[in-house]
Amino acid sequence: MADYRKMWSDLGMDLEKHDLLCEALPDAFGAIYMSQENRPEGMDFFNFVVSEIHGVRPAELIEHQKNGGKVFGTFCVYVPDEIIFAAGGIATGLCGGSQFWVAGGEKVLPANTCPLIKASVGARLDGTCPFFKIADMYIGETTCDGKKKAWEILQQEVPVYVMDIPQMKREKDILAWKEEIRLLLKRIEEFTGNKVTPEILAEKIKMINNKRKALARLYNTRKSSPVPISGKDALLVTQIAFYDDPVRNAEQVNKLCDELEARIAKGEGVFPKNAPRILITGTPMAIPNWKLHHIIETSGAAVVVEELCTGTRYFENLVDESGKTLDEQIKALAERYMKTNCACFTPNTGRIDDILRLVKEYHVDGVIECNLQFCGLYSTEAYLVQQKLKEADVPYMHLETDYSEQDLEQIRTRVQAFIELLEK
Amino acid sequence: MTTKHFNFYILFPNHQEGLHLHRKLKEANVKCTISPTPREASSFCGMSLLIEEENLDMAAKIIKENNIKTEGIVKLEKKPSIWNKTC
Repeated sequence: MADYRKMWSDLGMDLEKHDLLCEALPDAFGAIYMSQENRPEGMDFFNFVVSEIHGVRPAELIEHQKNGGKVFGTFCVYVPDEIIFAAGGIATGLCGGSQFWVAGGEKVLPANTCPLIKASVGARLDGTCPFFKIADMYIGETTCDGKKKAWEILQQEVPVYVMDIPQMKREKDILAWKEEIRLLLKRIEEFTGNKVTPEILAEKIKMINNKRKALARLYNTRKSSPVPISGKDALLVTQIAFYDDPVRNAEQVNKLCDELEARIAKGEGVFPKNAPRILITGTPMAIPNWKLHHIIETSGAAVVVEELCTGTRYFENLVDESGKTLDEQIKALAERYMKTNCACFTPNTGRIDDILRLVKEYHVDGVIECNLQFCGLYSTEAYLVQQKLKEADVPYMHLETDYSEQDLEQIRTRVQAFIELLEK
Repeated sequence: MTTKHFNFYILFPNHQEGLHLHRKLKEANVKCTISPTPREASSFCGMSLLIEEENLDMAAKIIKENNIKTEGIVKLEKKPSIWNKTC
């Protein structure tokens, strides 16, 4: 079998500790994913990525560095990948979706920090994530207080550049965000030593738009009944899109979509036609956080759409490709990214409009809002989401959880009761 | 007496060999699935190919014909699906 230990050792990783993760992942993936019936064959590529998750892609990133390229680790869908790729860099997601990394984060962070931040910091400090070790620079942002302070800790290890995300969406805020993107471009040009030209930026805008289009096509297949792919599989595809080469990723997602569209034509699905259809909204679900999807889909319902950063927020809205100058292109980027409805904005009514629209588009029977513990922004906004969904007569349930297994039975009981209410 | 069910994992020295066999098996319409290699099968991480028992002979033929390097086939008892196992 592939032996990546030399690469991990050269990266300064803690091999012994990391091996515990290598040991756990196949079992978890086997139980959650491989146990599903009638999976699309196109999922084989994504099985491959998971099987080699700390091997193949990290090796590609190291190769890029050997050729003089830089790697940028990012944490948020507000960071414009287009700029990084246009400067000859590679943007990659980082680790942060497993309980495995939480304890490492708790060594330096307050326990009442959200698990995503604790896991991210823990993955870096414990040396158990190759992506964190490879990245030459992390691009942070100001989407929440926990992250803002975490950057100051991570900065002690690796250069961190922080983008200041506006907290409102007035015209002046969009202009401020445009300025932030311009500053990022300048910093990345300095760091990589590469000049960004309008021609290359146009090419990368198109490249990332193509990735978004492929994911939008995937989600579109989930509007069908019966649904041709499980929510778990669709979530995995989205999670992997944060790490993979964008061109290869779009190609593989489109190949999967060909198969799913053929399934739809034959009326073939992975759940019975009358299975309740669930929309999940809330905080991001970083790989390998498959907890809620697994509970829902082994309780008789199908997850048909995620209004999450690891869902529609990642790919909806394309960047206008008509810009000819850097100024026009940066403006187009700013306008596109500011359409993403994150709870860090006030007000954030656009998110509720999105949920109501998705409920109709995906023929949703019930909405489950799931927030990571200690995410004050999303948990507070849940009050308003619930209010609007009630007015629209859409069944809704709010959960708060973390990555651990200790509340699984409680959540399963609540989810089962909710699904019973929805059964047709 | 309960009947035991088994999974068969084909192991490889690297993923290139694994992907090569995957492609050849698909071309021959032999059902197989890429899977992370369970720890019981190997102490190294990486992909393996999960294959049905009735296809083992066909897989062996294709491996030989295409000179694909493998590290053997491991037979493991299928575990009951642990619904509440998260990573």
